Amino acid sequence: MVVNNLKLLVGGVQLRDGVTTVTDILGKMFVRAGLHVLAMEKGYASTIYGAHQYDPMVVSATPPLSYGDDRSDILVALEFDTNPDAPVQPNRDTILRHGKNLADGGVLLYDSTTGTVDVSDLERRGVKVFPLPARQIALRELKREVVKNTVVTGALLRLLEFDMDLALFRQYLEERFGRKGKDIVELNLEAARRGRAVIEEVLRANGWRDVGYRLVPQPTTGRAVLLNGNDALSMGAILAGCRFYAGYPITPASAILEFMEAHLPRYGGRALQGQNERESIRAAIGAAVAGVRSAVGSSGPGISLKVEEFGVAGVTETPVVIIDTQRAGPSTGMPTKPEQGDLAMAVFAGHGEIPRIVLAAGTIEECYTLAFEAFDLADKYQCPVFLLSDLTLADGRRDVPEEFFRTHRRPVVRHGLLREADLRQDGYRRYQITESGISPRNVPGVPGGIFKSSGSEHDEQGMITTDPPKRKAMVEKRMRKMQTYLKEDAKPPLVFGTPDGAVLLVGWGSTRLPMLDAQARLHAEGLETCVVHFTHLWPFPTHLVRPLLQRGKDIIVVEQNYAGQLADLIQQECLLPTRRILKYNGRPFYTSDITGGVRQLLTNGTRVVRVGDRAPAVVLETVPEGD
Amino acid sequence: MSTAAVNQKLWEQNATPKHRIQWCPGCGDFGVLNALKAALARLELMPHDVLLVGGIGCSGQIRNYLNGNAFHGTHGGALAYALGAKMANPDLTVIALAGDGDTLAIGIENFVHVCRRDPAVTLLIMNNGVYGLTKGQKSPTHGLGMPQGVSTEEDPPFVDPLRLALVCGASFVAQTFSGDPKHSADVLVEALRHPGFAVINDFSPCVTYNKFNTYDWYKEHVEHLPQDHDASDRQAAWQLLDEFDGKGKLPLGIVYRHPRQRTAHRRLPLWDEELAEVDPEPMLRLFR
Repeated sequence: MVVNNLKLLVGGVQLRDGVTTVTDILGKMFVRAGLHVLAMEKGYASTIYGAHQYDPMVVSATPPLSYGDDRSDILVALEFDTNPDAPVQPNRDTILRHGKNLADGGVLLYDSTTGTVDVSDLERRGVKVFPLPARQIALRELKREVVKNTVVTGALLRLLEFDMDLALFRQYLEERFGRKGKDIVELNLEAARRGRAVIEEVLRANGWRDVGYRLVPQPTTGRAVLLNGNDALSMGAILAGCRFYAGYPITPASAILEFMEAHLPRYGGRALQGQNERESIRAAIGAAVAGVRSAVGSSGPGISLKVEEFGVAGVTETPVVIIDTQRAGPSTGMPTKPEQGDLAMAVFAGHGEIPRIVLAAGTIEECYTLAFEAFDLADKYQCPVFLLSDLTLADGRRDVPEEFFRTHRRPVVRHGLLREADLRQDGYRRYQITESGISPRNVPGVPGGIFKSSGSEHDEQGMITTDPPKRKAMVEKRMRKMQTYLKEDAKPPLVFGTPDGAVLLVGWGSTRLPMLDAQARLHAEGLETCVVHFTHLWPFPTHLVRPLLQRGKDIIVVEQNYAGQLADLIQQECLLPTRRILKYNGRPFYTSDITGGVRQLLTNGTRVVRVGDRAPAVVLETVPEGD
Repeated sequence: MSTAAVNQKLWEQNATPKHRIQWCPGCGDFGVLNALKAALARLELMPHDVLLVGGIGCSGQIRNYLNGNAFHGTHGGALAYALGAKMANPDLTVIALAGDGDTLAIGIENFVHVCRRDPAVTLLIMNNGVYGLTKGQKSPTHGLGMPQGVSTEEDPPFVDPLRLALVCGASFVAQTFSGDPKHSADVLVEALRHPGFAVINDFSPCVTYNKFNTYDWYKEHVEHLPQDHDASDRQAAWQLLDEFDGKGKLPLGIVYRHPRQRTAHRRLPLWDEELAEVDPEPMLRLFR
């Protein structure tokens, strides 16, 4: 019997089958019961309806290190139909695609409304199969098709011997539907009981006592929440004082806009859905000029459209936080698939040269903590600050203790905003040449001073100039801010393990968890590695990075892109050779990609390993996808 | 000195000295500048409460030729910055100052949608039919009053900013002529008082690159609106534009003015003390 350690995968038809409704209910119930949940590979398509959707979820007694490989222990297939046009390929994507990766002795639960499926190959591997006519029960017996997922949920709870009295489930339903929804609560509970009855019948018929997996509630020290990177980032931004947010609809950043629209007004702020990507960032810059902490969010294609404004923010010295939840590019690329392809854009994009800061979150928790840092740095250095996230973090969910959000909150301190008394003193110059490069800043509406600011080169008063000494002094003043940043605020990469003489696994962004998992596996196999993970990418903290990397033996950079954009930066800044494990097939890094890549690099001496060749188990007819 | 004169002087501080203004002698923008200063003085506004957002081109320079906070970014962006600033702080007087190319070519996306959004921002288009700063290329308003030749992709007919503004839902649409700064100032005062988006198309001749739409040409063609024009009537506004077209004249005055119902907003919190007491509970609740 495996207790509190399993990977569950729920799959079905997008929009129709409610895959994430099921995982959301289950995830929240597990977290309430003190279990730990990690679901970092939400598979969905850029289409509203009809594509295959899946959502693997690791549930364990201790916080899981990683989502592991594509193997799962329990497979739940919500599709209920067969495809009359393609008898050899019935609409059973979940079983066809993920059955192959189901563990020997695992569990398959599927909707058998339109008949049973031949899964003898799985049964030969000891998989316990549970056909459940969930849709039929919902439609015929309960007269409400919508509860078919509750039938499945009830069945699953019974399989895992979890919440056997449905007390947690009832509590969840009551909170969700409130007192007014008494009938809905009872209907759902009945649906869950019917699902459960089917499971008991199958168990009895096969003479199985259990399925070999069980979830048991554990005592907790405090309450935890289940949230994704977009949620954490949005919440962090609001608590960090962001009061103006603009965005144009784009996967996977739209959820931030929706969160802001729902919550910013409560805190006195406003969220604006731009009519295009440029309006979004320009409005955000306008709000920042008016003194408000302001941010704009998008994903790669939208960020590309904003590039000219990077220069405006840089030269007018306007603090604005630019959130990029990266997805697979270039152009429209693969809108719902993860990639880390925008680092070079964040660091270099735009004509001319501007001071800028680039941060990247490596975990859902860091989406929260770096939001505070991003707004503080933007204020202090009066420049664009890029906060990079990626699709794996944006859509991935994990449990985080509520205490975390309290202890990692920072008070809002506005750097350098002048008040009336400051302005009344003589000699205020918006672009005053200073040693730190940071100039005083006023806000329109505060008596005592005004600013003139411009995207054209300007003098200390903000008046346009092309006078060579003034131009030179102003360029140097702006760029000097980055020297100040390197002295006062740059952070070294996080180091996990001992770098001396070890193989260094270097990364940034959402690869951190699989890298740590790979480190543990390699350790078990006798290979010591040290994980070096970047959060502060630009200005590149060479003085902190080079001595650190020199202590290691091999520098292996793990990145989800073709070129190795961080590896290039390291070579450029540190003059150290790097080796690379690269993946860009639209799937996140699996632990085995990294362990396999490391072994390959160390044994055959190549410089680059490109992983992710393995095709999906079954290639189905192509489903047309949109943007 | 009279109060008005004192106020007028105030708007000349913190600005490029007059002898350093880089417009051609006789440029229509001088008239706009005078009208703007007169309107701001008459409304007794304080420079620190004003944000002037300049476009790219000769016209956008105006932001530095008078007192008040000023911002200037990308070509075509002025209205969107103005939108953000006004949303952030409704107490500010936000004025976008841009040319016809900036507003109606590269910035058309902002013009259309800001008309719809209706922030209480005043847009002053300094319309001269050319890209003066880059030495006289045709702008989208080029061809005003010229005989309509054969249209080609390279040479399309001109855009009428008044009709476009009406179509897009602007709540205040007016036209002025920089050769008549006293009237321009009167209209500007009304625009600045308007509780929504106010568009003013100001004919501001480019004396160097537009040899057709000259001061003399405008003087011949402009005509003040009839006293009895009902600006609150959308239909009347359309009719008026057609009538003036019919007689080959350009109307001066407030063509349309109809404030919308609006939700009042306060300045967004920005100071430390305004951001200190924030309860995350309503957000955390979502994830339990």
